[in-house]
Amino acid sequence: MWDEVAKALSHSMTRMLTQIADLLPGVVALMTALVISAVLAWAVAAILRRTLVSFDFDRRMAQWGFPSTAEWAPSSSPTVLLTRVVAWTIVLIGFLIGISAFDGALPSQFVVRLFTYLPDVIASVVVLIAGSIIARFLARSVLIGAVNMNLQYARLLSVGVKWLVTVLAVTIAIERLGIGGGIIRLAFGILFGGIVLALALAVGLGSKELVSRSLERETSKTASQSFKEPVGHL
Amino acid sequence: MELDAIPQPELDQIERVGSADVVVGIFDLERLEPNATAIAMTREGLAGFSQPLRAMVVSTNGAHGHAFSPLESAGDEKLSVFSCALPPPGPAETQQQTISNAYRNVFAVGERLKVRACSVLVSPAQMATREWIHRLVQPVLDLGFDLVAPCYTRHTMEGLLNRSILSPLHRALYGEQLENPMGPDFGLSGKLLQHVLRQESARRRGAAQFPPLLASIAALGGLQICESHLGVRAQRPTDWENLSSLLADILGAAFLEMEERAAYWQRVRGSKSLPRFGSRGVPPPDAGTVDLHSLVESFHLGTQNLQDIWGLILPPTTLLELRRAARLSEDQFRLPDQLWARIVYDFALGHRLRTISRDHLLRSITPLYLGWIASYALEMKGAGPSEVDARIERLSKAYEENKPYLVSRWRWPDRFNP
Repeated sequence: MWDEVAKALSHSMTRMLTQIADLLPGVVALMTALVISAVLAWAVAAILRRTLVSFDFDRRMAQWGFPSTAEWAPSSSPTVLLTRVVAWTIVLIGFLIGISAFDGALPSQFVVRLFTYLPDVIASVVVLIAGSIIARFLARSVLIGAVNMNLQYARLLSVGVKWLVTVLAVTIAIERLGIGGGIIRLAFGILFGGIVLALALAVGLGSKELVSRSLERETSKTASQSFKEPVGHL
Repeated sequence: MELDAIPQPELDQIERVGSADVVVGIFDLERLEPNATAIAMTREGLAGFSQPLRAMVVSTNGAHGHAFSPLESAGDEKLSVFSCALPPPGPAETQQQTISNAYRNVFAVGERLKVRACSVLVSPAQMATREWIHRLVQPVLDLGFDLVAPCYTRHTMEGLLNRSILSPLHRALYGEQLENPMGPDFGLSGKLLQHVLRQESARRRGAAQFPPLLASIAALGGLQICESHLGVRAQRPTDWENLSSLLADILGAAFLEMEERAAYWQRVRGSKSLPRFGSRGVPPPDAGTVDLHSLVESFHLGTQNLQDIWGLILPPTTLLELRRAARLSEDQFRLPDQLWARIVYDFALGHRLRTISRDHLLRSITPLYLGWIASYALEMKGAGPSEVDARIERLSKAYEENKPYLVSRWRWPDRFNP
């Protein structure tokens, strides 16, 4: 009986050691992939940082309408932020390559699912960036137009338009990632409706002002037939 | 240059005329006059010349039912007048496009007929008289000038874009003291016409602005420029709602021209006055009162809301001075000349560097321009023509004094930031 127990233990130990021995190349491969990707990430980040600094990226970002990237990462300039994102992406890719070196089915499935998910992530990031650019451009257009029309609510209108486009972009991105499902749609509907209502109120109040000014001008014209607009530009 | 817009029967008639001494374009942008009115005006305008002349009149045909008017000639031995009628502008055309097309067609006809002088009138017909044609053509034909720019008789609050930006900017850049560098009514020689057309063909096809600023082309080509007093010019009612579009159109063209000619104007120092013919005449009395409150209010609204945008274009010292101006009470409100000149230069630089979208940049100057008008109106309350002239002279001097600032920022936009 003791012989059989000893044999079973020996078999178990052999199987365990064999499995550990099978895992070892995978672990080494993972470590190697991580080290290589870290070195690569460091090199790419250094080159990218140098290129962006020579390109005066931080100032250009402010010109393109992103003066508040400091709001997202107070201690980081846009250059640092971008280089960090690129570096960590390279490390993540290295990690995924290392994981797939394991022979097991689970890690492979995990990696395959992650790679299938990647296009959606990229699409969401593109939607977010495009949404942010469009939001800022439209907000600026509305702000300048409203100020030139003498609307006191110019800033409110501009902020409203900015959030309207931003909320739309964020919702599209989240929907693309498949997070949240129905709750996201519901939240979007409430937020979008709220912003539209706020804008409608602001435009209504602003228009009231505009219409009353225009009526005043008309009244003064009819009250005094000699009224003439004295200012000419060309 | 192609004569695309001219109907074939008219083209055939132009071919039959062969050559002419003068081409006169008469375009009223507000109402279409019958072609006969333009012919009669030209005949009377050119009647005073002692030399025999062949003239071609180009105008839009306001007579309904006629695609073109027949070629005609006054039976006078000294003066033969032929006419060419263009179809009226399309409903979708903007005023700027209509002016561009008018100039394009007159220049094309002038080139085809190898004229010695050319005159284009785009001011309203009730103001543009036969004397205008004579005053624009005579310095070219009799005195050999290449460009005759207009001087109009205006009251204090008219022509403010010219007074505040276009004229002093042209003077500082090209060293020539012109009251209305962008016309729009001009007289020019055949030599300048050829010069403009050569430049146009060298430019990329489909360039929006035609003609390019004639005054700067003449200055660059070393051609003879003079001014001629034309008289009172009817003022179009101000469309306050679309003022920013007007500013974007006019300043956009001026800043583009500035960018193209940077190599030339950076070498120009000082300015000279130009020969001026005729007398100024008595300006019409000031009509109505300026609504100073809404002008200052527009400026305040701009300083409250557009700081972020102006911060991308203007240096911090200028922003500080603007904030200081915004704190002044309405009757004390002033925008100093030095500050205004630097603001215009900074906007020109921002336009060149594309600091922000060009349309945004040009439209965001509107509250500042309204602030300048308020400041000017307060200073010029009850002032006579000589005081107005002296005021504009001081402003022009400020532009000239600040030109080194413009040149430094233009050359080293990143390094030079006072």
